[in-house]
Amino acid sequence: MTDVIGEHVFRQFLASLEPAMRLAGPVRDGKIVEFREGAPEDFVLDDSVSYKAPKEFYFPQVERLITFQDGEAESEPEPRPVAVTGARPCDLEALRVMRAVFLNGRYKDPFFEQRQARGLVIGLACDARKPGCFCDALGLDMKFSDFCDILLERARGEGAFKVTHLSGRGAEALAKFPGTADVKPAPARVGVTRGRALGLDLGRGEKEFFGLIDWEDAAAACQGCGMCTYICPTCHCFEFRDVTENGVTGRYRCWDSCMFPRFTLHASGHNPRASRAARYRQRVLHKYLYVAQNTGHIACTGCGRCVRSCPVGINIKSIVESLTEAEK
Amino acid sequence: MSFESQEKSLRELCESLLRDGKVKSVAGFGPQSPDTGLSPPLIAKTAGNAKRLSWNSRCVPSIARYLIGRDGPAAIAAKPCDARAVASLVTERQLERKDVFIIGMECAGMTDGSGAPLRACAECGTRRAPVCDAEITGAPETARGTRDAAEDFSPERFRREMDKCILCFSCRQACYGCYCETCFMDRGVPSWQSARPDVGAKMTYHLGRAMHLAGRCVECGACENVCASGVDARYLIRAATVFVEEEYGFRAGMDAQTPSALLTFKSDDPETGFWKDGKHD
Repeated sequence: MTDVIGEHVFRQFLASLEPAMRLAGPVRDGKIVEFREGAPEDFVLDDSVSYKAPKEFYFPQVERLITFQDGEAESEPEPRPVAVTGARPCDLEALRVMRAVFLNGRYKDPFFEQRQARGLVIGLACDARKPGCFCDALGLDMKFSDFCDILLERARGEGAFKVTHLSGRGAEALAKFPGTADVKPAPARVGVTRGRALGLDLGRGEKEFFGLIDWEDAAAACQGCGMCTYICPTCHCFEFRDVTENGVTGRYRCWDSCMFPRFTLHASGHNPRASRAARYRQRVLHKYLYVAQNTGHIACTGCGRCVRSCPVGINIKSIVESLTEAEK
Repeated sequence: MSFESQEKSLRELCESLLRDGKVKSVAGFGPQSPDTGLSPPLIAKTAGNAKRLSWNSRCVPSIARYLIGRDGPAAIAAKPCDARAVASLVTERQLERKDVFIIGMECAGMTDGSGAPLRACAECGTRRAPVCDAEITGAPETARGTRDAAEDFSPERFRREMDKCILCFSCRQACYGCYCETCFMDRGVPSWQSARPDVGAKMTYHLGRAMHLAGRCVECGACENVCASGVDARYLIRAATVFVEEEYGFRAGMDAQTPSALLTFKSDDPETGFWKDGKHD
């Protein structure tokens, strides 16, 4: 038995995970590919990349946390775990960052933890670099991340994957299905350290970066939409909203975006980040400075999604490079 | 006759406009991104920077909005839809006609990353700016001006498109006509959208935007060009546009004087939009 598994066998393995788990993976819909829940045969496991990261399966765009009715409060039942197939190494490393943000601090996020602890993450190595990708500049390997349970790499020729497992949970799931029972663990990577070309001097204070480049100029074309934050694998800001309908109140957690003026609008009317340039600066420094200072991880994995999708061609990599250049 | 010759003329004109102090800035398009091929918006403030202005089949973004609130007179390297947007902003008192120098770029239609014509461009039959102060012709010939006749207005289609929307508001932010300082979607009192950004909020947003753009849309397609989620909601706006054109004979931005239909009150208005089969709808 080899660790190369036919694609149809692998899809049968996915089917065997149901109904204990929901299945999600990249689905093609017209011009776009996005992660959706679906059946194994729906998933496109070629080299096309979803326009939006699969973070919503761990941190949904809208999630009801508590229901209040007749003076009683009830937390939401645990969702059925999800097996996400086709997350790229950049998406997997982004989950590592999210985990550091949501679980390594003083307060732990039980909702994120629950989803991550019970689900199954099946990574898919990239065949080739896409336009706008820069994971290599951040020290990632486009073909490997150990932050998953099972990793697929498309074998040469069509219709087969090299499959390895990287966690006990991954090994256990594969062992239960006859066609994948002999899959081996991923070979230990000894001595592989990859250089990181992109990054800021974390010893500097934020104010120094405020004056390092002309942020007005850097964000001159920005239209102030929130797309970059919504499609980003590591953006994790949220707000709470209480909605009452027919006497039942739900407390919802919803994605928020630092690109929106309301993000920091005070009740007094004062807005500490009143300009688009200030908001864009926040996005860059949050990723490359603040999260890095707080967790040790740069909150950008070079997935290139914002570079590809920005309607006015703003490139975060060029901006970080211009900061590094100005630091000298 | 080519993009290159148009680009050369554009740079020469803008350099002299900036050098002679006729304008303080030029809104146009910069060099193509090596990653996506897109020519991003560029605001040139010096003659030296005007040398970076570019003109090619990937000058996709709608750029009229960059003129709003700009200090002093400005020029714009305008596609026909950008020129219409400027004219419309003048009639809506967002810009002063004397403060904008419109350079009408004859336009063969823009393309996506694969070189295919953008849908709005394929449907557009307007090669030349209806309003301008200078014109740079010489765009390549292309066959355009075709549109799929039958439109599906079923609730199913609407729902399908709304399911794709992620409410990032990039369509609003890209639209020349969405310049409200506080969008109705961002208002808390009264709150127009459900506090929960669900499919109902998406429907409210897209229908509200379509109504606000009735007779104001210049058919540039920016809303669908910028949408990363592939949402097709422009057919709603087009329905409103066609209605205003048929009922009131008005097309936005065809000149810089005629006030838009939404800014016009007539006591003998048949108010067709409020009536259905002879009854108040």
